[in-house]
Amino acid sequence: MLRLHSAQVSLRHIWAVTRKEFNHIVRDRSTLILVLFTPTLVLLLMAYALTVDLKNIPIAVLDFDCSQTSQAFIQQITAGQDLDIYAYATSMEEINTMLMRGQIKAAVIIAPGFASDLQALKGIPLQVIIDGTEPESGNFAVEHILQRAEEFIDDALTKQLRAQGISIDSLQALNLRVQTWYNPDLKPRNALIPGLISMVLGFPALSVALTLAHEREHGTLEQLLATPIGRAELLLGKIIPYIIVGLINVIIIPFLSISWFHISLNGSFLLFFGLSAIFMFAVLSMGMVVGVFMRTQAAALALSFLVIFFPGFFLTGIFFPLASMPEEARLEAMGLPGTHYAIITRGIFLPGVGMDVLWPYAVMMLGLGVVFTALAALFFRKKLG
Amino acid sequence: MTSIIETKDLIRDFKKTRAVDGLTLSIALGELFGLVGPDGAGKTTTLRLLAGLLDVSEGDASVLGYDLKEKAESIKPHVGYMAQQFSLYGELSVMENLQFFAELFDVTPKDMAERTERLLTFAGLTEFKKRRAVNLSGGMQKKLALACTLIHEPEILLLDEPTTGVDPISRREFWNILTELHLQGTTIIVSTPYMDEADRCSRVGLMYAGKLVECDSPKNIREKLEGDVIEIQPEDWQKALKTVAGLSGVREAQTYGESIHLLVDSGKRRLPEIERVLKKEKLAYRSIRIAPARMEEAFISLIRKLEA
Ligand SMILES: Nc1ncnc2c1ncn2[C@@H]1O[C@H](COP(=O)(O)OP(=O)(O)OP(=O)(O)O)[C@@H](O)[C@H]1O
Ligand SMILES: [Mg+2]
Repeated sequence: MLRLHSAQVSLRHIWAVTRKEFNHIVRDRSTLILVLFTPTLVLLLMAYALTVDLKNIPIAVLDFDCSQTSQAFIQQITAGQDLDIYAYATSMEEINTMLMRGQIKAAVIIAPGFASDLQALKGIPLQVIIDGTEPESGNFAVEHILQRAEEFIDDALTKQLRAQGISIDSLQALNLRVQTWYNPDLKPRNALIPGLISMVLGFPALSVALTLAHEREHGTLEQLLATPIGRAELLLGKIIPYIIVGLINVIIIPFLSISWFHISLNGSFLLFFGLSAIFMFAVLSMGMVVGVFMRTQAAALALSFLVIFFPGFFLTGIFFPLASMPEEARLEAMGLPGTHYAIITRGIFLPGVGMDVLWPYAVMMLGLGVVFTALAALFFRKKLG
Repeated sequence: MTSIIETKDLIRDFKKTRAVDGLTLSIALGELFGLVGPDGAGKTTTLRLLAGLLDVSEGDASVLGYDLKEKAESIKPHVGYMAQQFSLYGELSVMENLQFFAELFDVTPKDMAERTERLLTFAGLTEFKKRRAVNLSGGMQKKLALACTLIHEPEILLLDEPTTGVDPISRREFWNILTELHLQGTTIIVSTPYMDEADRCSRVGLMYAGKLVECDSPKNIREKLEGDVIEIQPEDWQKALKTVAGLSGVREAQTYGESIHLLVDSGKRRLPEIERVLKKEKLAYRSIRIAPARMEEAFISLIRKLEA
C-alpha cells in the first residue's frame, strides 16, 4: 500500500480545518462575496463585453432593386441603434474602397428582383459582405441583418398569404423553410457562453492559492504548524470548503446563463454537475500547488494568473481553437483541467452529448487532480521561513 | 536529572543573518527556563527551532529524545508553543479557537469539554467565550493563546514573550499560572523582556547575537555582577545623573524612573565620596544607599560589556 510521509489521515483533523476555513469564508463578508459572486460577475461582464457592446456599426447599402419593398427592407434593418448607414453605394467598387479604408464593417447588397422574388415566394437574393479583419463587428452585423430580414420576410409573407387565403399551418411550414435558408442559429453567444462558464467556474482556485499565504501573512500559520496536523489533512481540509463553494457556483452559473442569456442546456444537468465536481477537485488542487510554493498573497495571486488564468484564456480553446495551436502549446493545454472542462461544458450545453463521448476528458481531469494533489502534498513542508 | 531538551552547536541561518549561532543548551525535566536578550538576539528563532517550526541549518538539537532534523513532527503532540505575535484565528470565537486546537491535538471530546471549561475559568474568559478573538483586548488575546497552548496538557511549554503588552495584574496572574504548571512538573521555556520575570525562573539564559552568553540561576547571575549598586533618589535626576556618571569608580549609571542606580567597584568606598560630591554641587536627594543588585542591572551590565 502506498503511504505518504504522515501515516494515517484523521477525519477529525480534516473536519476541524474545513470548519475553520468555512467560518473564515462566511464570516468575512468580502471573502464571501468574492468567492460567491466573482464568477457570476465575470461571466456577465465578459458575455456583454464580447457580444453585446457592439453598437452603431457602420454599414453601406447597395440597392440594385430600387423598389418600394427594398426601401422598406433597408429601413427595417437599420431601425434601432445597432447599425448605422454610412453611405448608399452605387457600385461594388465603392463598397470595396469603403471596406478597405475601414469606413464600414459590412455591406448589404440587394440584388435586382428583390421585390418580385419576395412576391413569388422564392428565395430572396441578398448578399452581405463583412470585414474579415474585425470578425466580431462583422458577425454581429450579419446576425442582426439576418434577424431583421427574417422578421421582414415573415411580415411580408403573412400579409401576402392572408390575402391569398392560405391557412396558418402551411404558413408555419413556409416559415420553417425561410429559417433554414437564413441559418438563424449562427448566434455567437451560444458558443461563447459555455466556454466562459468553464472559465469562470475555475475562479475558486484563486482563493485556494491564497489561503496558505494568507495564514502565513496573518501569523496564524505559526500556531497551526505547531500542531500535529498531517500535511495532507491540512491541504484537504482547506480545499473542501472551496469545492463546496465552487459547486454552488456550478448551480448558479448555468441557471443564470439559461434564464438571462437564453442559452439552452441540451445535455444532462446531473452529468454537468458531476463532471464539474471533478473539475473543481482538479483546478483547486492546481491552486493549492501554487499556494504551496508562494509565500505571500501577492505572489500567489500573480502566479495564479500566470499559470491558471492566462493559459486558461489562451490554451483551453475557449477563444482560440486548440487545433490551430502549435504542438507544444497543445501539450501544455492538456495539462490544464480547464481545457478538458471547456470541451465538456460545450459538449453538454450545445450538442448535449453524454458520458460516452466525454469520458476521456473526465478521466484526464481526474488524473490531473490526483497529480496536483500529490505535488502539493509532496512539496508542502510544515516549516516557517 | 534527565535532560529533555538538548542542543549542540545549533545554528540557524537566514539569507543575510545568522539568527542562532552555535547554541549549546541542555534543559532538564521540570525546569522553568527563562530566555532573555536584547531585540534580535535570536530568542524567537531558538523557540521556533525547538518547536520544530524551522529547519536546523547546522548542529544538533533534540526534544524528548527526538532529533529535530528528522523527527520534528513527533515532538508536536508533546509541546505547547505560543508565538510572540497573536496567531489565533481572529474570526473564530474564543470557544471555537479552543475547540479547533483541541481537535488538532486529538483531545477526546470528554476531556475537551472539561478542559475548555477549566481553561476559560483560569484565563478569566468564561464570559467572553462567544466573542470573536479579534475583538478581545491584547491581554485577553494572550491569555486565550496560552489556553490554546495548554489544551492538550503538553509536557513542554515554549512561550515566546507571553506577557508583552499585558497589564501588570494580568502579568502577575500569568506568572501564577506558570508557577503552578511548573510545580506540576511541566517543563517551561519562556522568553521575556522583563527582568523581574527572569528572576522567577529556575534558570536564565542570556542570548546575545545568536549566542548563549550566560546561563545560570538568577541568584548566580546577580552575584556575577562585580561591584555594588548605589541607589540615589535625587530631587533633579537629570542634573544629578550628569554629575555622578563620570565619577571615578562608577562603571555604569542607569535610571529607573526618578532614581539613579550606579554600578560601582566598591559600595563602601564610593558611597561617602558620592555623597560629598552631591553636597558640594548642591544637589538635593531624598535618599542614597547601597542596594542589592537586581537582574536588570546584571543584564544591562553584561550587555554593555559585550557591546564594548
Ligand atoms: N524569517 C526570518 N527571515 C530573515 N531573518 C530573520 C527571520 N526571523 C528572524 N530573523 C533575523 O534573525 C535575528 C534574530 O531574530 P529573532 O526574532 O530570533 O530575535 P528575538 O530575540 O526574538 O528578538 P525580539 O526580542 O525582537 O523578539 C534578527 O536579526 C532577525 O532579523
Ligand atoms: Mg522574538
